[in-house]
Amino acid sequence: MSKATLERGLNALREQIDTPIALFFSSCTHCGMCATACLFYTETENPAYTPINKVEPLRRLWEQEYTLVGRIKKALGMSKPITDAELEEWKEYAYNACSLCGRCTMVCPVGNDITYMIRKMREGMAASGHTPEGLVGASTRAVKIGSPMGVKLPALQAQARHVEKDTGIEIPFDVEGAEYMLLMSSMEIMNYPEYLEAVSKIFNAAGKSWTISSEAFEATNSGIQIGSSDIARELVSRVVNAAEKLKVKTVISPECGHAYTAIRWEGPNLIGRPFPFHVKHILEVLDEFREQGLLKTEGFEDARMTFHDPCQLVRRGGVVQQPRNLLNMVATDFVEMKDHGIMNWCCGAGGGVSANEDAEELKMKAFNRKKHQLEELNVDTLVTACANCRIQIEEGLEENEIDMPVVGLTEMLAEHLVEDKKTGVSDND
Amino acid sequence: MTEINNESQFRAALKGMSLANQREVGASFVEQVAYLADDERIGFAIRVASNKDAAEDELNAAHKAAKAAAIDCYTRCGSDADWAAQAGYFVARAASAIVTPEKDVGRDGPAWTAAANSRLARTCSIIESNPEAESQEAGKQYRILEDYLKKRV
Repeated sequence: MSKATLERGLNALREQIDTPIALFFSSCTHCGMCATACLFYTETENPAYTPINKVEPLRRLWEQEYTLVGRIKKALGMSKPITDAELEEWKEYAYNACSLCGRCTMVCPVGNDITYMIRKMREGMAASGHTPEGLVGASTRAVKIGSPMGVKLPALQAQARHVEKDTGIEIPFDVEGAEYMLLMSSMEIMNYPEYLEAVSKIFNAAGKSWTISSEAFEATNSGIQIGSSDIARELVSRVVNAAEKLKVKTVISPECGHAYTAIRWEGPNLIGRPFPFHVKHILEVLDEFREQGLLKTEGFEDARMTFHDPCQLVRRGGVVQQPRNLLNMVATDFVEMKDHGIMNWCCGAGGGVSANEDAEELKMKAFNRKKHQLEELNVDTLVTACANCRIQIEEGLEENEIDMPVVGLTEMLAEHLVEDKKTGVSDND
Repeated sequence: MTEINNESQFRAALKGMSLANQREVGASFVEQVAYLADDERIGFAIRVASNKDAAEDELNAAHKAAKAAAIDCYTRCGSDADWAAQAGYFVARAASAIVTPEKDVGRDGPAWTAAANSRLARTCSIIESNPEAESQEAGKQYRILEDYLKKRV
């Protein structure tokens, strides 16, 4: 990297030092409790993976330029300048060894939001070019094509036609005035098309109007993961424009963790104004249907099952009780992991880790935490509500030779939906 | 003689079949698209599902192998979509369906799950070249099922 890119990165880091960041650094007691909350540390015991260490260059910059002692030390040549080599080294800590899961934030005794700090750190890393190749590729495709995986509208339409044929239910595109606008992750379009099928069955049974925008169907936001607010803003804006154009009341974030954080929590701040529509996760919507008597299920799962809480949905997003309400509709032997809900352990692949090939080995080490949790419970089935968690868990179970189905909660509910004899399947062939 | 001309007839006919027959006809559905995966684990699943006398151990081993094949070829989050390779993923899922242990068989049954995933595999194989084209896989499956039912009568 050149001196110019380093300077650009340092400027980006300087811009991130706002009041919360300064307060967090001032408050940190270096107690190390965040280390014990981080699965990348617990599963490797590498002290460099201590969460607060992942923002060390940002801390030094803050100290050197925004504190009296730091300025004096800098003037006397007693402080170490931040270098390109150092930022390159920190790429491993800030990206490979962090899923932005937020567990460190929960245990910090002085209340520092360390996840927020790492998110800020990534802004400087991205500006200086110290980002994993996989995330660069995903972000480029997201901006140019509209999907981090390069999924184009005709591919989604082809999958939608497939679902229509299987279910006899129309997948509505670009319906102005629909109550709900459904977003999808490319992972669901490519790997789990049964999600779209499940949604179409449930909404059809509930009698609710919904649509997919052909201009903005992608929910995921690579800008959040790589640490580029400009990219994140652009991707959020596309969804907002589409929702406003179609005049929908609610935008539904799919079974994807960080997509929910991006559109629900960071979205309005990124575009600098409130949304004229609600944003809800699919499980929030389904739980509302349950409350309104619009989600009717029959039969129960015999299997002993547990729920893996996607971090961005549950801990960072606050959707804690809804999945449990929904699971109780169809599960008779549901058990919680020892650490669950807001203190769940991450699957190990969030925050862009799964898109980062450099982190392949590390994410499987991190998965060991989930493996131990599952071994304690002796369950038959694991249910979750994030396609990325699902793939990571499936891969981890396979690597550890554990035979256990991993199921998406929306799909499981659709499996138990009371069948409407009027709809059934298509006779048009 | 049973004629299968639409999805309702297709699904109703599948639903009325025993588990062993569903596995067997499902294997024929998977056979049609197996070349899209080029993975010997798919062939293993087809062979086991086609054998009505297959032991439970064999079914479990074939299921495990097919599941592993699916996990080996899914598209990773954030990676560039390769629809041709993705076809292999759905073939593996279809193969996994026909050897799923009885306790894990879902409401739709193995034959329908295999049919649906085989169609998805075919759709993936043509998405890049001609996304508007309608896959003819369903029609082929209707004929396969008709033939199967005829042989049994």
